Amino acid sequence: MLIIDCPYCGPRDQSEFSNGGEAHVKRPDGSAEIGDREWGEYVFIRANPKGIFYERWVHSHGCRKWFNCVRDTSTDEILKIYKIDEERPKLDSFKNNVKTPSGEPNLGSGNFTVKK
Amino acid sequence: MSELNLTDNKFIQFHQKIGFKFDGVKYYGYKGDTIASALLRNNLKLIGRSFKYHRPRGFYTCGIEEPNALVQIISEYSEPNTRATIKKIYEGMEIESQNRWPSLETDIGSINNIFSPVFPAGFYYKTFMGPHKNFWKKIYEPIIRKAAGLGKPPKEFKAVSTHLHHNVDITIVGGGLNGLIAAKSLIDTKYSVLLIDFDDQLGGILNNSNKVLSVNNQTPMDWISETVKEIENSKNIKILKNTLVTTYNYINHLIAVEDKFVGSRPLKDKVNSTLHKIRTDQVILCNGHIERFLSFQNNDLPGIMLCSSFEKYMCRYGVLPSKETVIFSNNSNSESLVFSLIKKGFKPKAYIDSRSGENIEPDLFDLIRKNDIPLYTNSQIKGAYGNKKLQKILVEDSSGGVNEIKTDFLCLSGGINPDVHLFTQSKGLLDWDEKDLTYKPAQAFQPTITLGSASGQFDFNAINKEINEKLVIFGIKPVQIKLELNTSHKFKIEKLWEVLPQKQTIWSKSFIDLQNDVTTKDIRQAISEGFDRIEHLKRYTTNSMGTDQGKISSINALGIVSDLLDKKVNEVGTTIYRPPYAPLSFAAIAGRNSYEYYDPERKSPIHNWHITNGAVFEDVVQWKRPWYFPINKDETMDEAVQRESKNVRENAGVLDGSTLGKIEIKGRDALAFMNLIYTNSFSKMKPGTSRYALMLGEDGMVKDDGIICKISDEHFIATTTTGGAATVLGCMEEYAQTEWPNLNVYMNSITEQYATINISGPKTRNIIEKVFPEVNFSNEAFPFMTFQFHEYEDTPIRILRASFTGEMGYEIYVPSNQALKIWEKIISFGKEFGLMPYGTETMHLLRAEKGYIIVGQDTDGSITPLDLGLDWMIGKSKKDFLGKRSLIRSDTVRKDRKQLVGILPTNKNEKLEEGQHIILDKEIKTPTPMLGHITSCYQSPTLGHNFALAVIKNGQSLIGTKAFASTPELKTIEVEIVEPIFYDKENSKLAS
Ligand SMILES: [Zn+2]
Repeated sequence: MLIIDCPYCGPRDQSEFSNGGEAHVKRPDGSAEIGDREWGEYVFIRANPKGIFYERWVHSHGCRKWFNCVRDTSTDEILKIYKIDEERPKLDSFKNNVKTPSGEPNLGSGNFTVKK
Repeated sequence: MSELNLTDNKFIQFHQKIGFKFDGVKYYGYKGDTIASALLRNNLKLIGRSFKYHRPRGFYTCGIEEPNALVQIISEYSEPNTRATIKKIYEGMEIESQNRWPSLETDIGSINNIFSPVFPAGFYYKTFMGPHKNFWKKIYEPIIRKAAGLGKPPKEFKAVSTHLHHNVDITIVGGGLNGLIAAKSLIDTKYSVLLIDFDDQLGGILNNSNKVLSVNNQTPMDWISETVKEIENSKNIKILKNTLVTTYNYINHLIAVEDKFVGSRPLKDKVNSTLHKIRTDQVILCNGHIERFLSFQNNDLPGIMLCSSFEKYMCRYGVLPSKETVIFSNNSNSESLVFSLIKKGFKPKAYIDSRSGENIEPDLFDLIRKNDIPLYTNSQIKGAYGNKKLQKILVEDSSGGVNEIKTDFLCLSGGINPDVHLFTQSKGLLDWDEKDLTYKPAQAFQPTITLGSASGQFDFNAINKEINEKLVIFGIKPVQIKLELNTSHKFKIEKLWEVLPQKQTIWSKSFIDLQNDVTTKDIRQAISEGFDRIEHLKRYTTNSMGTDQGKISSINALGIVSDLLDKKVNEVGTTIYRPPYAPLSFAAIAGRNSYEYYDPERKSPIHNWHITNGAVFEDVVQWKRPWYFPINKDETMDEAVQRESKNVRENAGVLDGSTLGKIEIKGRDALAFMNLIYTNSFSKMKPGTSRYALMLGEDGMVKDDGIICKISDEHFIATTTTGGAATVLGCMEEYAQTEWPNLNVYMNSITEQYATINISGPKTRNIIEKVFPEVNFSNEAFPFMTFQFHEYEDTPIRILRASFTGEMGYEIYVPSNQALKIWEKIISFGKEFGLMPYGTETMHLLRAEKGYIIVGQDTDGSITPLDLGLDWMIGKSKKDFLGKRSLIRSDTVRKDRKQLVGILPTNKNEKLEEGQHIILDKEIKTPTPMLGHITSCYQSPTLGHNFALAVIKNGQSLIGTKAFASTPELKTIEVEIVEPIFYDKENSKLAS
């Protein structure tokens, strides 16, 4: 279980939080000029990378505040937590050397030895 | 007599006799005994029958790695699959053996052994596939259900367990030699430390063997008690005994379960186990090692045991399982057993080593020679034989000759493995040690330190160096421990995984997994069928998939596979050890979240009145809501609902609507915010009016509905569905914080602060005027969909004129602590007008007659407002609201979408059911195109008709046509598709 450092309450157990999916997804307004594709991507399409991921969390059993988080999905390491109105940290400020707990290949699973 | 002189044993209280029952027979053991040590004390060697073949099995080990000796504890809610090798006995304990019928001695299932070609490798996969589709269901499954398995699940039990959280700097897992030294060196440092041991005695190998003769010139016992006392007296170290760490999660999060009743009968009203959830900065794993077995013909017979387990029974429990055991080994670990036997005045009947004479340790060699123990070097055991117990073994010696040795006991050692389960759970990497022939921790993924044999350090003489090097990060004073050992050499081993079979009989089997009855032949077969990846092989053969996870055998399987594939073991890889390390009961996991605490019950402030008045309740999410109010115990639900609904239409009814979600929205931009959240436009609404409103998801689908009361442009109160209250509030908060943080708006749940009393029916006004005589309820002064604030005996209340039944109605919002008083007043004043309470079932019927939907019943997350015919609720002039753009997606504007309609059976008494499909043809041919399905249906006393709501493709244009509802019996019922409103189509009653 993760420890998440709520920007308002401090470090707490993951069980107090809910994940809100990808962060920085811009919501187009609902006007008809927005094309089907643009609106459809907002509603249905989310990134799911292995590695650095910008995501949202809400301290649902705490202060109920939303905030953003940068997490390495391959190691579950939380790299940065920042408030919702703070600027998105640049990707190159993080080491993006997709490392995994078992040193698995970048794609797919399989154990350490199979990699070689 | 297999008893040792117990006077020098510190762990067994030999003056305290304990009586217990095994399979109905009474035995005696001593305080401190496990089931296994007590039964061995009674010369009992047969403990259970095996999983598939029902072969007789005995005690293979003396600890948690035990694959065979699983028993059912009848005296503890019939707890199954308990390891007899660790469970301590107590007075009156009742134990049963498992997986045998009619008895352990005479078990009919053992015939499976003769039919064993029925259970080959990949058995489950093969039988699921054929030869005939019914073969599994009719033939295999019934046979297997009867024959295979472990214990029986308990019929009833009451979990008594609690959870405890810890936040510490350092957690030491294992209180053996290394764990104690590490803990001692951390005494009075700045670190908070937890020292956890599974046993009730700290000391580990010092208690279980004679490997260490003295520590710092003290006897091991004296050193342990002195060290433990020092640790216990320290301010910064806490010891948890009887506590097994089962799980090592991410961010150094450990789960450990503590048995609170070791060696005594668990009390029903006391906590039986504690689940410790430990968060720690650093983990020190000192959890030792596990000895391996060896594979040969019938290596499963009762009377065969691991060497170190035999020694543990002697040292720890004062039991000698046999006076004349034979020892078979390929490594130096068996030397300690020879030493211990001789020390106690016994000796092995023969010593067989697969290594050649010059590779056997000189002091072991001398010990054997000096004591005239028959020695077979360069030799192997070809097989073990006997009827339900070991009687003889065949030994092939260095010259190739086969010798028969009559013996009732055999001790094995196939090498030792660091106990790497927790280390691999933590995602640490292992590496194969070609010299010691085992996987050892290589690279930690988390802040994890391994010490002693848990780290693969099998040399006692290196203990100071390792501890001082690895614990230097804590700034400890260097430790200098002086050990006196019973041998002068380091651990040595030569490769031997299995002895190949000499002759094959049906009964003879060479096992690689004792708990799951997997043989080395199964491994060969799986590889020949192409399952040569270790993860595939594991699942295909079920090797190491038992509750013991192959603790004494999984490495042997890797060795055999590597030989067969002619690969290095490191290339074969290892399967992943998964949590939990050993099974833990659901009761421990559940903790207090069980029975009445499993899910909180929410009750309205009027709940007790409902109970007094005979309400039958239904669960609506966590709420208990009155379902109906039978007037006597003979009245059925159908009868009650007919009566209640008729009464609302003819007189008046009152409903407890307190469970509806209530959210208060305030702020300078509250109006703009509400316009964005709901489909409706609230801009032109006058203060004091209310509106039925819809909330959509961004996909355009209906998510919730409710009534919005506008107090001012800066203050609204919204109601939600009972089930949607938390979600709607969450959604509002999310958008307020993440999408429109520039809007000044705040929201808060007031669901539990206010009760809601709904009165409706033609006589509502007569009643409510009596209850609130100062309020003018005339149509002009209090029109439909308006609300007013009043005071009732100093209690501020809000009255809203709205209706969910189609009759004239009012909703009264009262502070919860005053709700019962007003409810009772309404009931008593309403009596003369025929007022009756009604429940949710009647409410559902009445609203369906009126064509009002219930979100989640008539909608399912794929229905837009347009599908419901609620176009009028969409604020088309608004630029934006949740899901607006989705209402003109190509999918949502499709003409053939499922739309809400009404359904009337042609025969008005024909019963319809929710979920029935609507089809076009009277005859059902497969496949039949399905138009849609019935979402709600009721028998209406007002209409004198059965009726339904349904969502069907292109429904709005099918109104007036005939269709059919299909039944599960493949019959059809003729119905007519009609407008989804059956009562008061002109809405004349609402405003009457
Ligand atoms: Zn918080």
